[in-house]
Amino acid sequence: MIQFKKVNKYFGPFHVLKNIDLQIQEGEVVVIIGPSGSGKSTLLRCINRLETISDGELTVNETPLHDKKVNINQFRRDIGIVFQHFNLYPHKKVIDNIILAPMKVQRLKKEDAKKTAMYYLKRVGIEEKADNFPSQLSGGQQQRVAIARGLVMNPKIMLFDEPTSALDPEMIGEVLDVIRSLAHNGMTMVIVTHEMGFAREVADRVVFMDEGQILEVATSSDFFESPREDRARLFLSRLINH
Amino acid sequence: MDFIGAYSIPNLTFILKGFLITLEVAFISIILSFLLGTLLGTLRYTRIPVVARLTAIVVDIIRNLPLLLIIFFMKIVLPQIGISMSPFWSTVVGLTLFEGAMISEIVRSGLNSIDKGQIEASRSSGLSYMQTFWNIILPQGLRRMSPPMVSQFISLLKDTSLAIIISLPEIMHNVQILGGQNFNYIIPALILAAALYFIVNYTLSIIARRLESKMH
Repeated sequence: MIQFKKVNKYFGPFHVLKNIDLQIQEGEVVVIIGPSGSGKSTLLRCINRLETISDGELTVNETPLHDKKVNINQFRRDIGIVFQHFNLYPHKKVIDNIILAPMKVQRLKKEDAKKTAMYYLKRVGIEEKADNFPSQLSGGQQQRVAIARGLVMNPKIMLFDEPTSALDPEMIGEVLDVIRSLAHNGMTMVIVTHEMGFAREVADRVVFMDEGQILEVATSSDFFESPREDRARLFLSRLINH
Repeated sequence: MDFIGAYSIPNLTFILKGFLITLEVAFISIILSFLLGTLLGTLRYTRIPVVARLTAIVVDIIRNLPLLLIIFFMKIVLPQIGISMSPFWSTVVGLTLFEGAMISEIVRSGLNSIDKGQIEASRSSGLSYMQTFWNIILPQGLRRMSPPMVSQFISLLKDTSLAIIISLPEIMHNVQILGGQNFNYIIPALILAAALYFIVNYTLSIIARRLESKMH
């Protein structure tokens, strides 16, 4: 479903992704972990082409993203993304945040879009906030709205870019619960996170990155019980002992 | 000082007629400079290669010239190349260019102030750049730019008085004529002009303050 072949990415002189080879199957939950600045977020953002790759091949949903002729707006309908800072539209009510893409991209009628939107708001547990503005919601609630906004397009893939890093500790749980339930329902997901307990539990496979390289790809239990790479071991021990 | 003589009915009518011209020039220029400024500011914001660069050069040139010079230019230089306008329209065009350039900077910074994350979120959900611009960037940008925009309109209204140099019969011009007729009229006439400017501009600034407090 997602295939990186010898992908490289440069930001000016910085070589941020080095020779990335990675395949992700349909229905798989892949968690990317690693120290800050290791290229995790950049890798994730390449998948919906928020970042373009410098060379190599990247195919997502059978669309070759290295090909400049791709209709990017069409392609992005099938991929939802949730950001660290929620990125809700502050001038629109919760419900209007969610129905914008269905109305503009899928050309749904407003009532139909609203029905679908309410279904997903229920699913993330905040249907009573539909007519509030984002600023009236807690961080955890805002992030759940952002998840509903991604789901409403019925995507084939969901991407999560550190979805709990900007949240107060007491709100992390409610957001992780929503993501966990998606994972159990067979959604293909790529998640960048620092929540190791969550990663261990939800991931089919774990990708460990450092300095722009993928150092280790393993099933969740293999990785957390016996990481092969020294740097992965060091990374995990630091997290556990702090 | 002769208040009673200065405020005789014919004199008052003369000053108010001048103020009416001031308001007309200001009103037309506000609308045109808003349109021009929004267009230029948006073009610069979009970073379309050549267009954005060209817009930037034009805007920077206009912004760094005195308005007085631009109004002079309209009345004196343009007729030399066959474009001749009445003082009224020379002032309107001069003001529109100058204030339009100022407003374009307000528009550009307003648009730039919209968080890039929202743009990424919108584009990621499949909206095109134009759809994102209309639905996400512009509505929030306009709201943010309205207070500085209103202050710019207040300066515009005051700047209409510069058209005195090309003999536009606006309020300051008429005040000057009254003062020329009888020196005892000049202070009463100036006080009246000050009061009229103040009332209109203060009303505008109250609107600006309302807009601002509404946003927070």
